[in-house]
Amino acid sequence: MLPKIEYSCPQTLEELFEILEKYKEQAKVLAGGTDLLVSLRDRIEKARHIVDIKKIKELEKLEYREGEGLVIGATVTLRKILESRVVKERYPVLWEAVRTIGDMILKNRATLVGNICNASPAADSAPALLILEAKVRILSREGFREVPIENFFTGVKKTILKPWEIVKEVFVPEPPRNHFGRYLKMMRVMSEDLSVVGVAGLGYREGGDVKIRLAYSSVAPTPLRIREAEEAFLKPGTIEEKIERAVQIAAEKVSPISDVRGSAEYRLHLVKVLTRRLLKQIVEVV
Amino acid sequence: MEKKKIIFKINGVEKTVEVEPNKTLLWLIREVLKLKGTKKACERGDCGLCTVLLNGEPVKSCLVLAVEVDGSEIVTVEGLSRDGELTPIQKAFIEHGALQCGFCTPAFVIVGHWLLNRNPNPSREEVVEALNGVLCRCTGYRPIIEAILDVAKKRK
Ligand SMILES: Cc1cc2nc3c(=O)[nH]c(=O)nc-3n(C[C@H](O)[C@H](O)[C@H](O)COP(=O)(O)OP(=O)(O)OC[C@H]3O[C@@H](n4cnc5c(N)ncnc54)[C@H](O)[C@@H]3O)c2cc1C
Ligand code: FES
Ligand code: FES
Repeated sequence: MLPKIEYSCPQTLEELFEILEKYKEQAKVLAGGTDLLVSLRDRIEKARHIVDIKKIKELEKLEYREGEGLVIGATVTLRKILESRVVKERYPVLWEAVRTIGDMILKNRATLVGNICNASPAADSAPALLILEAKVRILSREGFREVPIENFFTGVKKTILKPWEIVKEVFVPEPPRNHFGRYLKMMRVMSEDLSVVGVAGLGYREGGDVKIRLAYSSVAPTPLRIREAEEAFLKPGTIEEKIERAVQIAAEKVSPISDVRGSAEYRLHLVKVLTRRLLKQIVEVV
Repeated sequence: MEKKKIIFKINGVEKTVEVEPNKTLLWLIREVLKLKGTKKACERGDCGLCTVLLNGEPVKSCLVLAVEVDGSEIVTVEGLSRDGELTPIQKAFIEHGALQCGFCTPAFVIVGHWLLNRNPNPSREEVVEALNGVLCRCTGYRPIIEAILDVAKKRK
């Protein structure tokens, strides 16, 4: 059973912010509800007032502009993203990450913005958004601010959002030309689960050099981009040496824990195996 | 808790109900409307047995608040057959023996209907992907997949 709550479903941003200002910490935004309703039921989250944002037109945008990038509004479902040809063709690593989240029925409700606002270390869209250098667009009555997603997560289930703010949309800039990107997600079962470890990577050529970006889920309190591992590719050496150096640095920078999905040791092992596997695939293509 | 008035259509019939905001769509369907075909099991989105169609799309009704469906249209397994005649998918489930205890059957039938409506000729992979969110603990997935593919084949 869910605890006692009040519910409102504003039609406009003004109404929404009025409610958020009134209830502050006691209000929770409801998008797809696939995290929120479970956490309320388990008494992990507390809320007096639930504000449903699904009727607000300004949050529905899924739009790509050539040369600029992609805007994903707060109420855009994972299913819409998966069905978007532009996302599949221009942002394949994001598309692949979204595909791994839950199942088809869940994707009809769950949103990408909800995935990052929930701020689980296992959030599958986060590593892809990190390497695509997405910006989180935050709105409140006080105004608008845009934050690199790298600065958005502050801890397990924690973000920089104030209780009276919402994420309006995520902006994903145009990725590097001719990049190749993938998300490798290791699960306990073949079908549906959170990741034991997830790795998103992309590579591209600049001048004659291969440039790499790498980010992880389920290896630290927040989804994590590891720039030091990326920089291994800027130093001299053969491709094999660079890959091994990146693998070692990634393994040093993660801080995995043991839980029901795997031990810290196993996670560390997976970080090495998956990073190596992914980097080999990337350097073969770019 | 203050009750909210909601108006919605279920299996083609309009209803007006007053509900508390902490009640789920699953509760509304089973406990208020007494439609027991939709099953309650995990109540946390994992099993998919509570799946119904909300405005034509499958949702896990334990993860939807009843107040959210104001103005919407819902279809449960009871709303599929016409004039007492089973749908082709329901018949195919019987022909293929696609059930053992039957607890998961309503959810698979609902998802099967949704899938064939939007994609009349799905590949095996597409069927598997669509069914991924529903669990069968008697583990009879193969006949369920076969039944849905068979309906598609016969329609061609
Ligand atoms: C069966 C099941 C399987 C799952 N599998 C996966 C998986 O494989 N990978 C994965 O990463 N996740 C998974 N999840 C978790 C969840 O489905 C995703 O995180 C989903 O993307 C959350 O989106 P939502 O719209 O449902 O969020 P909601 O539940 O509506 O919201 C989540 C949180 O974010 C806040 N919030 C939402 N939108 C905003 C906004 N615009 N501004 C400010 N705050 C906001 C809410 O208040 C809440 O705290 C799974 C969940 C279930 C139940
Ligand atoms: S009862 Fe809703 S998914 Fe299990
Ligand atoms: S037939 Fe028993 S759970 Fe599927």
